[in-house]
Amino acid sequence: MADDNWIVGIAEYKATQSPNRLTAYGLGSCVGIVLYDQYTKVGGLAHIMLPSSRFYSQVALPGKFADTAIDALLTEMKNLGCRRERLFSKIVGGANMFSLISQSAVPIGLRNVAAVREELKKREIPILAEQVGGTSGRTVIFDLVSGRVEIRKLNQSTEWV
Amino acid sequence: MESEIFSDFQLDALREIGNVGAGNAATALSQMVGRRIDMSVTKVLVLPTDAIAGFLGGLEQNVAAVHMPIYGEVCGISLVFFPMGRISELCGMLVGKEEKDPFCLSELGQSAIKELGSILTGAYLSALFRFVHIQMIHGVPGLALDMAQAVLDTVLVELEQKEEVAIVIETEFLENEKQITGSFFLLPEAGSLKKLFTAFSKSLGLPGNG
Repeated sequence: MADDNWIVGIAEYKATQSPNRLTAYGLGSCVGIVLYDQYTKVGGLAHIMLPSSRFYSQVALPGKFADTAIDALLTEMKNLGCRRERLFSKIVGGANMFSLISQSAVPIGLRNVAAVREELKKREIPILAEQVGGTSGRTVIFDLVSGRVEIRKLNQSTEWV
Repeated sequence: MESEIFSDFQLDALREIGNVGAGNAATALSQMVGRRIDMSVTKVLVLPTDAIAGFLGGLEQNVAAVHMPIYGEVCGISLVFFPMGRISELCGMLVGKEEKDPFCLSELGQSAIKELGSILTGAYLSALFRFVHIQMIHGVPGLALDMAQAVLDTVLVELEQKEEVAIVIETEFLENEKQITGSFFLLPEAGSLKKLFTAFSKSLGLPGNG
């Protein structure tokens, strides 16, 4: 299998395996959720927009919300042979880019992060690393060979978690 | 890439609205800086949001974006994008002092860019009101210097939509030999585009009801 770069757009989620990479370009207040099973090297990336599907009667796009995206991603990863109890996660994003304009007390980016943490905790998936909040957008590149996540920000050095 | 629901005729009307808005914005801007600055509309189009980053030069293209919430009969968000590489010069044009590093803009530089976004948005919104009689006002501007896609990502979260359509008016600022392009985007929230479209058809005397 070729080393392919799979792009995960807004409100999308994708699962694949080593040696592929999963990339979400330009996360702003969205959050990228990385899930990885290091034995099978099966991994997934969800690019969620909103904290919870709870307030919506119909969920046309499960990838849009933290809760439904994690469940949908878990199903796909299970189909690829990963084991739920071996999974760990890394979360990236949830910035508040236009710092002046948050309408509510807690900006949406941070509400997304809080929701993702809670949903992962509910499912007993440990969070191994986080790079969240702040005021800058982030591009996330998840390397399924190593399980490492590259985080690119504009005008700042690249970080790995 | 033109939207299916905006006909050429309607885009022509939009261009006319753009011309009127740009004229008014140029007057306001010239008064603000005390020198003559001209503006002209170079492009008018309707783009789906997934094509916007491409229009601006790519997903990770560096941009300066002025963001404003839009309230009124049509609600949504307006964005004014400037190319990152021209921000220093733009500050020079506006406040008479070029900035060394666009990533560490002075307070004055930041205010100037926000004010320019605000003038442009205000002028286009009032021109829209004159033609299609839909009242819109803008809120306080915010500024981000970031990747094009990260700006869109944030705005789509605010609109709670995965896909939206934006009305785009590309504007060129001219002072002597210097030309700088800024792009105005109006992103109406779900349902509002239809309202805007209906108002367009009505004021143009078309039977279309969106």
